[in-house]
Amino acid sequence: MKKRLMTVLAVGCIAAGVAAGSIYAEDTKSIIEQAQEMTLEELAAKAIEESNGATFYGVGNSSRGKTALPTFIEYLQTIDPSYNMEFDWQQPKNNKIFEQLQADSLKPSGTFAMTLIQDGNQIQSKMADTGILDTFIPKEWAEANGVTAADYDGFLELQLLNKVFMYNCTGDKVYDNCWDFVAEGSHPLFMGVDSEIVGKNFLYMLTKDEYAQYLKDAFDALPDEEKAYFQPTIDAEAEDAELFGLGENGAYALAYIKLWVGAYNEQTDDGPICQTLVDASATDQSGLLVYSKLRSVEESAAVSVNNIKVAAYEDGYEGFGGYGYCHYLFVTDNSPLPWTACAFISYMTTTAEGFDAWGKDMGGYSSNPEVAAKIEEIYNHKQGGYNEAGEDEFPAKDDRGKEWWVNDGKLIVEDPAYCASVDFTVGSWVEMLDHYTGEEAAE
Amino acid sequence: MTKKSTLTINKLKTYFSKPQNVILLLFGIVLTYTTVAPIIAIVRDTFKIHPGTIDQFLTKKSEGYSAANYVDLFTSKLAKVNLWTPLLNTVMLAVLTCVISILFGGMVAFLVTRTNLRFKKYISSIFIFPYIMPQWTLAVVWQHLFNSNAVTGTSNGLLTSLTGITMPLWWCQGLFPCAVVLGLHYTPFAYIMIGGIFRNMDANLEEAATILDTPKWKIMTRVTLPMIKPAILSTILLVFGSAMGSYPVPHYLNFITLSTKYVSMNSKYTGEASILAIIMMLFGIMILGINQMSLKSRKSYTTVSGKSGQISKINLGKAGQWVIAVILIFVTFMTSIFPIALFAIETFLPNPGDYSFLYTRDISHLTTKWWLTRGNDAGALYGQNGILFNGMILRALKGTLFVSIMCALIAGTIGTLIGYAVSKNRRSRWANYVNNIAFLPYLMPSLAVGAAFFILFSNGRLNLFNTYTLLVIAGVVKYIPFASRAALNSMLQLSGEIEEAAIIQDIPWIKRMTRIIIPIQKSSIISGFMLPFMTCLRELSLFLLLCTQGFILSTTLDYFDEMGLYAFSSAINLILIVLLLVFNALVNKLTGASLDEGIGGN
Repeated sequence: MKKRLMTVLAVGCIAAGVAAGSIYAEDTKSIIEQAQEMTLEELAAKAIEESNGATFYGVGNSSRGKTALPTFIEYLQTIDPSYNMEFDWQQPKNNKIFEQLQADSLKPSGTFAMTLIQDGNQIQSKMADTGILDTFIPKEWAEANGVTAADYDGFLELQLLNKVFMYNCTGDKVYDNCWDFVAEGSHPLFMGVDSEIVGKNFLYMLTKDEYAQYLKDAFDALPDEEKAYFQPTIDAEAEDAELFGLGENGAYALAYIKLWVGAYNEQTDDGPICQTLVDASATDQSGLLVYSKLRSVEESAAVSVNNIKVAAYEDGYEGFGGYGYCHYLFVTDNSPLPWTACAFISYMTTTAEGFDAWGKDMGGYSSNPEVAAKIEEIYNHKQGGYNEAGEDEFPAKDDRGKEWWVNDGKLIVEDPAYCASVDFTVGSWVEMLDHYTGEEAAE
Repeated sequence: MTKKSTLTINKLKTYFSKPQNVILLLFGIVLTYTTVAPIIAIVRDTFKIHPGTIDQFLTKKSEGYSAANYVDLFTSKLAKVNLWTPLLNTVMLAVLTCVISILFGGMVAFLVTRTNLRFKKYISSIFIFPYIMPQWTLAVVWQHLFNSNAVTGTSNGLLTSLTGITMPLWWCQGLFPCAVVLGLHYTPFAYIMIGGIFRNMDANLEEAATILDTPKWKIMTRVTLPMIKPAILSTILLVFGSAMGSYPVPHYLNFITLSTKYVSMNSKYTGEASILAIIMMLFGIMILGINQMSLKSRKSYTTVSGKSGQISKINLGKAGQWVIAVILIFVTFMTSIFPIALFAIETFLPNPGDYSFLYTRDISHLTTKWWLTRGNDAGALYGQNGILFNGMILRALKGTLFVSIMCALIAGTIGTLIGYAVSKNRRSRWANYVNNIAFLPYLMPSLAVGAAFFILFSNGRLNLFNTYTLLVIAGVVKYIPFASRAALNSMLQLSGEIEEAAIIQDIPWIKRMTRIIIPIQKSSIISGFMLPFMTCLRELSLFLLLCTQGFILSTTLDYFDEMGLYAFSSAINLILIVLLLVFNALVNKLTGASLDEGIGGN
C-alpha cells in the first residue's frame, strides 16, 4: 500500500513538474505572441506593472547591455516616475554564455529575463532548436522592415557588426584583392576561430554560393602569376567541395579557407590587433578585425590611424572586404520578467536612445533602418574621420555604412541556418587544417 | 546481544570522545563528497549527449547517453590535433617547468644557505615575488619584451624597439617561454623546500666526505643531492599538477596544451573536452599514487641531528660572492621589479604598448587618462571609466577580497583540524585516507577542478554559476591541502606529552587547541591561512569557468589583458601586488611568519 502511495505521489510530482515547466513555456510564448501586437508604449505599461521594484537579470556578449538598461529605466520613469528596477548584466567569456543559458533553462523560472547573444550557428543548434530561447519581434521593428511578426522567420537582430580587412600602409605593400591576404608570406592578424566562434562561421559562410562567387570573381581579377600560385590549392579542393555538396565555386571557398587558416597569425582579441596595426613598426602587416576598434586609437609619435588603410575603401580593391555577424536578442523561455524583457528588446530595436549604447560607435549598424538613419543623423559616422575644420583627417574612420558594406564592400554576412547545416561537414574539415605557427616568419 | 550492543555503544562513545576522531569522520565524509562528486559529474558529462555538439551529430540524438565522445576523441582523424599533441605538449611543459624550478630554485637556495653570497636577505625576499604575481603577468611581460614585427608579426616589443635585436620564434612563443615563465613562477616552491633542508642539513656528512678526500662533484652527487631528494619530490608533487593545469600562460604564449584545448573544444566538442579534463585529473591521481609509493620506499635521510649546530659555508671567493650576487640581483630584478615598473609605466602610455616616449624622449606622450577619465563615452578608453572610477574594477576587488578571505578562513581552519587529527592518528588507515583525499584536489589541474565544479553545480536543482558561494566552495576544496600539509608537518613535530599533560588536567579540547597547540605552531598554521589567501587572490585557472569577468580581479585582469587594455590589467596587477605585500608584511609583523622565513633572510 505504502509503495503504491509513493508511486502515485512520485508520478504526481513528476506530472506537476512537467506541467509547471510547460505552463512557463506556454506563458512566455503566449506573452510574446501578445507582445508582438503591442506598441512600445503598451509594452512599457506592462513592464512597469510587472517589474517595478524587481531585479532584472540580463546576459550578453556585449557589455553595452549594461549601458542600455539605465536609459531604459529612465524611459519607463517618464511614464511612471515612481517606477524603479534594479539590474544585473553579465557578460560571460569563452563561449560560457551558452552553458550559462543552458544551465539556467533547467530551472522552472530562470534567472535571466533575456539575452543579447552572438554566433547564429550555436544559437540555432543549442538555443533555438532546443527551445531555450524565444524570438520576440517588436511591432514597430517589423513595420520599419516591411514585415509582420507572424511572417518573419528568423532571429531578431539588434545590430550587424563588421570585421574588415585593414593593413599597415607605412611601407609599399598594397592589398588590392582579398586573395592577397592569403598569398605567400602574408600573415594577417586575426582572433583565433576557436576563441571567437563567429570567426568560424565566417569561414563556413565563404562556402555559400553567393560568397564563393565573390572569391571566384576576385580570383579571376588576379594577375596570371598570382593565379598560378593559388590554382593548385583550388584544384586540390575540388574533390572535397563535391563531397560536401558545395556549389560550382566551392573549391575556391575551400582553398581560401585552407590558405587563411594556414596563414593567419592568431591574437587574443581585436584590441591588440588594432594596436599592432596602427603602430608604425608594423610595416606591411595586415589584419581582419572589428572596424570600431579604430575609435580608441590615440595619436602619438609611433601610433596613428593614418598608419592603416581599410582595404575595401581603396580604389580597385577586388573581393570581399570583411565579414559581418549579428548581435541577436531573445527572451529566455523561462524568463522571470517576460513583459519587461519584451519592452527592453523593443526599446533597443525601435528607438535611437535604446540603440545609443552601440550607435555611437562606427561599425555597428541597427537592424532597424529608421533607427539607423537617426543614429547617422546624430553621430555622422560617414564623416567620422573629419576634424573640426571640416578636413578629412582620418579617412579610415569614415564609416560608409551598412548598405555600402553589404553591397559594395561585399561583406560576408552570417546566416545561422547555413552555418548549422555545414557545421559538421565543412566544420570538421576546418578542424583538421594546419594552423600557422609562425615558423615561416622565423626562417 | 544486549552486552554486545552496550559494548558497541561504549566503543563508539570512546571513539567519539576523542575530537580527532570526530574531525576525521566528519571531514572524511565531507571531503569525499566535495572531491568525488565533481569527478563523477564530469565523468557523466563525457557520456552525455549535448545538443548542438559533435555527439549529437554522431549519434543523431539530442539527449541521452553514448560513448561517442570517447570513440571520436581517441579514434577520429582529429585525435592527434585534439588529444595526442596537446597531451604531449602538456607533459613536456609540466616536466620542463619542474626542471627549471628545481634547478633554479635549488641553486639559489644552495647559494643563499650554504655560501657566503652577498645580499642574501634582499635576494631571499625578492625571490618569492614571481609566485606572488599572477602567473600570466610574466607571460605578458615576455610578450612586451620580445615580440617583434619580423618574427611574431606584431608590433615591436621593447627589446626590438630600443636595440633592433629580434629574438627567434622559439624564444618568443611556445614551449620554451611557457616553461620559463611557469618555472620562474613556481621556483619559490623549490627555493623554500630545498632551502629549508639546506639550512638544517648536518654538515658532518659533507665534512666527513671532504676529510676522506672525496671530489667535490662526488660529494654533491652522493651526499648533498640524496639529502635534498625528498624536497625535490615534494616540489615535483606541487609543481607538476599546477603546471599541467595552467591555462593563461600557454594561452598568451601560443602553446597548445590540454587546458587551452579544453577551452577551445568546449563549445563544439563539449563531452570530449570533459574527457580532456578527466585525463588531467588522472595525472593528479597518478602523482598522488607515485608520492604514496615513494613515501613507502623512500629511504630515511636524517637532515637534522644533534651533533652539528653549524653549517659550513662554502667560500665563493671575493669576486665570486659579488659576481653571483649581481647576476642574481639582475635576474630577480627582471622577474620581479621590472614587471612591476612596467605595469606602472603601462598605465601612463597613450596607447597600450606604445612606448614612443622612450625613443622620442618626450614625456608629453604620457597620459593620465587611464586613471582619471570619468564617463564612459570617452572612446579612448574603449567605453571604460578610468581606473579610479571604474565600477567593474572596484566590484571585482571587493569580490576578490571576500572570496580570498572566506577561502583562507575556511580552508585554513579545516586544513588545520585535519592536520591535527591526522597527526593524532598516524597509523590509522582512515586518517591516511582523509589526508590523501584532502590533498588530491591540489594535485588535480585547476582548470579541470573548475570544469568539474561547473558541471556539478549547474543543474536544475542547484545552479551556482557566477556566485561567490561556488567560488568559495571550489577555492576551499582546492586550497585545504595548503593548510592540512602545513598543519600536519608542524603537528608531527609536537610531542604528544604536551597535550597529554593538559588532558590529565582535564582541560577541554578547545582550550588545549587555542591555548597550547595553536600558539606553539602558530607560524606554520598562519602559513596554512596565508597561502590559500595569496593563491586565491590571483587565481584564474580555477575560477575561469565558474564566473564572469568583473566578478573577481583575476577574471577582470584576464579580460583586460585579452582585450589588449594593458593599462587596466597593469593597474589590477599593481593592486594585487600591493595587497599581497601589505598582507604579507602585516602577518609578518603580527606573527613573525613569512613565506621565505628562515631560509636566507635570518
